[in-house]
Amino acid sequence: MRAIYRVARATYYEGWRRRFLNGILVFAILIIGSSWVFTYLQPGAELKMLIDVGLGSIRFFGMLIAVFLGTRLIPDEIEKRTIYTLLSKPVTRMQFLLGKYFGGLATVISNVALMGATFYVVFLVKAPQFAQPTEEGSPVYSMEFMYENIAKAIVLNFVELAVVMAIAVVASVVFSWILAAIVSFFVYFVGQMSEFFGHLADPETTANPVARMILLTIYRVLPHFENFDVRESILTDIPVIWPYMGKVAAMGALYVAVVLALGYLFFNQREV
Amino acid sequence: MAHIALAIRTDNLTKIYYMGWGRYQVGVRDLSLEVEEGQIFGLVGPNGSGKTTTLKLLLGLIFATSGDAEVLGEPMGSPRAKQRVGYLPEGPYFYEHLTAPELLRMYASLFGLGGRQFESRIQELLELVDMWDHREQRVANYSRGMRQRVGVAQTLINEPDLLFFDEPTAGLDPIGARDIREVILRLRGEGKTIFLCSHLLKEMEPICDNIAILDRGELVGQGGVEELLAGEEQRYRVELRSPSEEMLAGLEQVADEVVWLDDTCRALFADRQAAFEAAARADDEGGHLLAVGPDRRTLEEVFIDAVGEVAPDASDL
Ligand SMILES: Nc1ncnc2c1ncn2[C@@H]1O[C@H](COP(=O)(O)OP(=O)(O)OP(=O)(O)O)[C@@H](O)[C@H]1O
Ligand SMILES: [Mg+2]
Repeated sequence: MRAIYRVARATYYEGWRRRFLNGILVFAILIIGSSWVFTYLQPGAELKMLIDVGLGSIRFFGMLIAVFLGTRLIPDEIEKRTIYTLLSKPVTRMQFLLGKYFGGLATVISNVALMGATFYVVFLVKAPQFAQPTEEGSPVYSMEFMYENIAKAIVLNFVELAVVMAIAVVASVVFSWILAAIVSFFVYFVGQMSEFFGHLADPETTANPVARMILLTIYRVLPHFENFDVRESILTDIPVIWPYMGKVAAMGALYVAVVLALGYLFFNQREV
Repeated sequence: MAHIALAIRTDNLTKIYYMGWGRYQVGVRDLSLEVEEGQIFGLVGPNGSGKTTTLKLLLGLIFATSGDAEVLGEPMGSPRAKQRVGYLPEGPYFYEHLTAPELLRMYASLFGLGGRQFESRIQELLELVDMWDHREQRVANYSRGMRQRVGVAQTLINEPDLLFFDEPTAGLDPIGARDIREVILRLRGEGKTIFLCSHLLKEMEPICDNIAILDRGELVGQGGVEELLAGEEQRYRVELRSPSEEMLAGLEQVADEVVWLDDTCRALFADRQAAFEAAARADDEGGHLLAVGPDRRTLEEVFIDAVGEVAPDASDL
């Protein structure tokens, strides 16, 4: 535990020192902070626009930071050879891998928490005014669960980032880092559509058994990232219930555990 | 027979690197070594002869193709052994954004060491390598020699029983190099075992107890430094700088062999008495006597004999 914590701590602080990621964070906060400006583009649907831009940016930029940080964490230690002095101390490869993962995740989550806080402030200020119908026939929003739902959406995003981060870190010990980044993005975007692949795998839609097998495998193996997207519920103001949160979090944790275990099998053989 | 404890034992240790596309590169092949506790063991060899490869194998950073090894009685690379070793990598690299005390604190914490009373140990270590005055500076702004010094301090944080040093004096100025050699000798005085890799033969000669010579991954010579340098039969030498004609003629009569090294004349004798008499005579006659005593080969000569080529980096010998 101690070794994991120490590696994680060093990784966390080091993660904050990456200029490129700082740049993404600043850019994301600028966009999120001015998300209310975008609402003028869609008169009548201001609230939807605000939530789409705000939560959408948080998810997108969070994912970007997770992939770029996650795929660099271990390759940097190897290329910069800082790993020699660490692994020659009583630090097992498992502890090293977990330390890197949790440290990097802590950096990403604090980045995204900043984005989330920015959005929450914007939302608190602007939402009441947008909830009133601005034009004839524009929707009237019930706001009963909305504030809570947005907070929950941000928490679900943390879980999603934990999954993305695990994929990125593990991909980086299996592949070169560029390939690892491509694989991570691919898994993320295809995982967004996993329901769609599940649907395609239905015998009614795809007759060819081989194609069906492939589609079904994609559906089963890739994480179902759309589960982390609760914008539907937010806009219709249906409460995102705790059992759902719990289920998604548990699935996420299981996924992370399996991916990290696989990563360990690779990293344990890896020469540094 | 007294039992001699071994700090390191390798048994046909072999590392063949796979380079892709069906090509292989020998790192080290069939290396069998025994390093006794409490000695300074030097692994020497030209560039690319497998010194660093051997160290990395022993530390579990890379994995052997065949053969095996024990470090402090544990299988190589085991966490138990790592508790008790220190490792200075070749040209060490550290987290750039930390200062030396922060770095040492982090490494110490990996051993479960730390706290207020540990701060004095950090100061002591940094003073030992002459880096205490630079304690505010970040690694990013260090010179190469400063990194090396912090690298040495870092190996000692857990008071290890066995130290692995890969080119410890690389990048150091002469005083820095001497400081590090003193640290190494002091560590041996404390009963620790030091495994040193270097091609700086002049530096290795006076401090190593035992030496192994690697060439292209294979062991080509091994033994106690004294025995290696003494050669097979003990001879005695008299060295004079630019002796006069008569003096030289006199020497050539009594000596078994006379060789010239630049302006130095070295006369070799099988008989100890004859050597000292010749030296006394030359001195009486006002010759410039440089040395008299047992004839020792230099490590460089032993090395060249073993490797069969010019010593590597002759420029820094
Ligand atoms: N990761 C690697 N992949 C392939 N070959 C390697 C690798 N590391 C080392 N080698 C090869 O193994 C051989 C031994 O290298 P090693 O680094 O052990 O030499 P060395 O004795 O430490 O040399 P130097 O004095 O230059 O430090 C060299 O031929 C080198 O090219
Ligand atoms: Mg080397």
